[in-house]
Amino acid sequence: MTQTESPKIFTGTHGPDDGAGESTPWPHDVPPDQDDTWYPLRDDPWRAKRMEYFIAFLWGITAVCGVGLAIVYCTGGQAELEGMFLLVGFATMGTGLLLWARNLLPGHDITASRGTDHRTSSPEERAAVVESLSRGTDAMMSRRGFLVKKVLVPVGGIFGLAAIFPLASLGARPGRALYHTKWYAGSRLVTEDNVALHVDDLMVDGIMTVFPEGYIDDPTSPVVVLNIGGDPIKARRGQAGFEVISGANGIVAFSKICTHAGCAVSLFNVLSMQLICPCHQSTFNILQDAAPVFGPAPRPLPQLPLGVRPDGYLIAMSDFIEPIGPGFWNRSGD
Amino acid sequence: MTTKKLLASRPKNSSGGRLRHALVGPAALVGAAMVMFGVLFWTTSAPAQMKPVTMSPVSITAGQTLFDQHCAACHGVGGVGGKGPELLNVGAAAVDFFVATGRMPLSSPNLEPTSHAPFFNKAQIADIVAYVNALDIEHGTPGPGIPDITPACNNESANCPTLSEGNALFMMNCAQCHDASGSGGLLSHGYVVPSLRQATRTQVGEAIRVGPRPMPNWGPGQFTDQQVSAIADYVYYLGHTPDPGGLGIAHFGPVPEGFVGVIFGLGVLLLCSRLIGNRG
Amino acid sequence: MSTVAERSADRKRAKKEQELLDWADDRLGSSTWVRSALDKIFPDHWSFMVGEIAMYCFILLIVTGIYLALFYKASDAIVIYHGPYKPLDGQSMTEAFASTLNLSFSVRAGLVMRQAHHWAANIFMAAVAFHMCRVFFTGAFRRPREINWVIGVTLLLVAMLEGFSGYSLPDDLLSGSGLRVVFSIVQSIPLIGPWLAFNVWGGAFPGTEFFARLFVIHEFLFPLLLAGLLGGHLAILWHQKHTDFAGPGKTEHNIVGSRLWPQYAIKSTALLMFIAAVIFGLGGLIQINPIWVYGPFEAARASAGTQPDWYVGWLDGGLRLWPHWEFRSFGHEIPNPFFPGIVLPGIVFNVIYAWPWIDKKLFGDYEEHNLLDRPRDKPLRTAIGVAALLFFFDLTLASATDLIGNALQMSFELLIEILQYGSFIGPIVGGVIAYRTCVLLKNTNAHPIQRPVGGIMIRDARGGYHTLGASHDGHDGNDGHEGNGHDGSGHDGNGHDQGTALEPAAGGHPAED
Repeated sequence: MTQTESPKIFTGTHGPDDGAGESTPWPHDVPPDQDDTWYPLRDDPWRAKRMEYFIAFLWGITAVCGVGLAIVYCTGGQAELEGMFLLVGFATMGTGLLLWARNLLPGHDITASRGTDHRTSSPEERAAVVESLSRGTDAMMSRRGFLVKKVLVPVGGIFGLAAIFPLASLGARPGRALYHTKWYAGSRLVTEDNVALHVDDLMVDGIMTVFPEGYIDDPTSPVVVLNIGGDPIKARRGQAGFEVISGANGIVAFSKICTHAGCAVSLFNVLSMQLICPCHQSTFNILQDAAPVFGPAPRPLPQLPLGVRPDGYLIAMSDFIEPIGPGFWNRSGD
Repeated sequence: MTTKKLLASRPKNSSGGRLRHALVGPAALVGAAMVMFGVLFWTTSAPAQMKPVTMSPVSITAGQTLFDQHCAACHGVGGVGGKGPELLNVGAAAVDFFVATGRMPLSSPNLEPTSHAPFFNKAQIADIVAYVNALDIEHGTPGPGIPDITPACNNESANCPTLSEGNALFMMNCAQCHDASGSGGLLSHGYVVPSLRQATRTQVGEAIRVGPRPMPNWGPGQFTDQQVSAIADYVYYLGHTPDPGGLGIAHFGPVPEGFVGVIFGLGVLLLCSRLIGNRG
Repeated sequence: MSTVAERSADRKRAKKEQELLDWADDRLGSSTWVRSALDKIFPDHWSFMVGEIAMYCFILLIVTGIYLALFYKASDAIVIYHGPYKPLDGQSMTEAFASTLNLSFSVRAGLVMRQAHHWAANIFMAAVAFHMCRVFFTGAFRRPREINWVIGVTLLLVAMLEGFSGYSLPDDLLSGSGLRVVFSIVQSIPLIGPWLAFNVWGGAFPGTEFFARLFVIHEFLFPLLLAGLLGGHLAILWHQKHTDFAGPGKTEHNIVGSRLWPQYAIKSTALLMFIAAVIFGLGGLIQINPIWVYGPFEAARASAGTQPDWYVGWLDGGLRLWPHWEFRSFGHEIPNPFFPGIVLPGIVFNVIYAWPWIDKKLFGDYEEHNLLDRPRDKPLRTAIGVAALLFFFDLTLASATDLIGNALQMSFELLIEILQYGSFIGPIVGGVIAYRTCVLLKNTNAHPIQRPVGGIMIRDARGGYHTLGASHDGHDGNDGHEGNGHDGSGHDGNGHDQGTALEPAAGGHPAED
């Protein structure tokens, strides 16, 4: 076969020997005498001229919008004006182009063949390409493919795997990072403005976001502290006594990182004593030790063990007794 | 008695008309006492950073009349409680907040109070506040006063020194329920969190201090009065500043934006495609 | 009639054109190819332009994106902001966020460009989704176009990730919460989750160098993938030629439409202009993603109304709807987000990828097709597609439960429960309705909007009732002739039998002419 020829496409507008060559019959589904130069206003020069003037008018508006844009920009810029000029400018340009193509340019409704006969290759070509390929693969797979199957593939696998190792440089190993926060025994509870919280600071039904003193920016440590008044908490195993009772105040603290997917659990419904996460509506019952009562969260919010210093400041007695936040493979269950 | 218990709905039996008739006498006595107290406290200056609530006897008497007509049916004559909670230590801020935002009067104690156009005019609201405030003072438990929010900036100019502080406090303490743009949200059990974009600064300050349920409250131990002012200023700014990027749609984030983009944006382009192409 | 002057001008121009094309042919031998390109036929149905809409949105995204990239600083370094937006004055934030604020408020036309870029992304995804549905419901993925389907689905996937990574670049509270959720989803993968999450983020969330990486992914890795895949998608389309609906004069072996030059090229440019008008118009006139309102991301903060952009909404909705199951034993656990976050999209995309082969099995049709099905021609495929769309719609609604509840004064508990049941009841019911509607439309051959669906009943002289339908007497209530190339006797205009119900039309073999 000589160099590839373009498939013979019958478009019916270039005449009977339209690329057809000698012995190719004219396909039955391509009309032979299509007029390739026709457009709707070809035979109506007066309307064609009016259409051209109208298009020119539209494109004139585009130009005005361009000037308007320049002026707006040079006088300080303003988003709405810029948007309006761009909108009108592009829209009139597009409308002009559309009217031009529809009414004044040819090329409508032409039928051509898909060139089926030549779009896929002939049987001879198909056999020839297999010959070209197997010329190589026959030699490469000598001795039942010893080199390729038994050596190259395993070696490629090993070397390829080794070449992926630099990707590990992207990140630190998790280590124990997921198991601990920055809370420690004796750390005071401070607000975002680094003001330490006194045991009397919250009124009943009050809520505050606090951090361990010195670690306001740590993303695993945010805690919500609440004053639940005289309501009793039904504590989970291992978390009894984590709250602080001081007169009529009952101070409890929970991790703010949702155990579902890590958003900050911060909505507080005082009437139902629930904490709600805004991301997926996980709802935690505060009086049942922040156990999840609705939504996708699978585990309660860990409770921070609280204490009071002699000078009245609230402190943590230790870190949480379990990992905070969303689950992971090695997280030991409770 | 804690504020919490006061504001909790506790239905009690009330037989209505006959009871009211029988209590007219005692109510008149209490009213007279109010007037005396008002005279005594006429020149009392309000605590610092609180808007003073008038102690004028005229105002208190007018307030009592309005209270008996519109509030006593649920809250009891003299605010002792009934179908609605007792009001003897709620404080002026709570009364002003609930009445000025139209949450009260409530046509039925089973309804959830929601924000409406207020039922009373400003003068009447002041009178009712004065009356209940006097009741509270007489009872010995004044409750949170109306915070005096001095706007540190007017709505248009952005040179407000506390705007940034208000923003930081709002984003940490308020945005999770009321949305970063102040458009509101949803709590559990179907409690709708209202929009703040039309709230006045005073109402914001009152709500923070009072904690109208199911909203929590923030007392002086958590926010100073300056901080409450800053939050109120920022909320006002949110609701009264033109959006820099054009029309703000619903100020609710990607959901309305997606609506506009998919239905309006793509919709217009599909129409353009219909104009350009054939209908087949 | 052209004048002498016009004809002479035409001849002069033709001479110049000849010179230019000869110049190229001398060097590239390009004449044959250029001619076949200029003469190429593109079918004109309006729904074929939606892929083009997506393509032009992509081009505008690149143009506006390059502009944004020149101002954005992909850095996690903490700075104190002192710019024109006073509510954030004096607050600490990453340079990424500060540079986005700067672009929005201090760069002239910056806000329009930023908003246009974001609107373009939303419309791009909508166009891709619509285009994919058009291809699905008309069976355009059938042989020989399976490769293009696979490329197209990959384009969809990469475009979704590109959009998500793009709106996460400013490090605002809204997108930062989304990144937090994605981190938790990656972390939830059994065995390798925490390692993989720490690897991608460079440490525990939120990481200290994350935005530089995200920038590379969004500016470089994904756009290269998208451009390459799009090139392949278009090249295959060019070579195989576009499909078309059946109609008068159309066969499996011809193609009817507009010539590329000048008709289709100009119309396509007009479409580009309209798209630019819509995107830049929205960019200047309607606010989107006001990051200054959300403020910089902090792990301790959250906002109500935390939703992703609409095209990721189905994943977020899945996370909200999936029950609180978690599996724990022997010191290990498969955390909750793994199922809606990894398993669900995994199944979804695998089914979508495999669809051409599933379709072949379902209908026993291994033939080549250049003519499209109308959706009614394959009721089962249409029903499955409608069911899938209803499923995604249910999940997308679920991502907005708090907003819907706020607007309708309903509790999210009730809404979520309704949507949980709706996620399988809706598709089943919708699928059945779609199936029945297709069968009905097929039998009556009516256009559902232009003409009423149903038959005509006549009562004969003896009192009996007869329904006139497509298979009787050549009349079906459409006056004996109809569009779409069908005559009244159950055959299409080229004498091919339309078949009934589920049978594919005979005569779909490539003819040996």
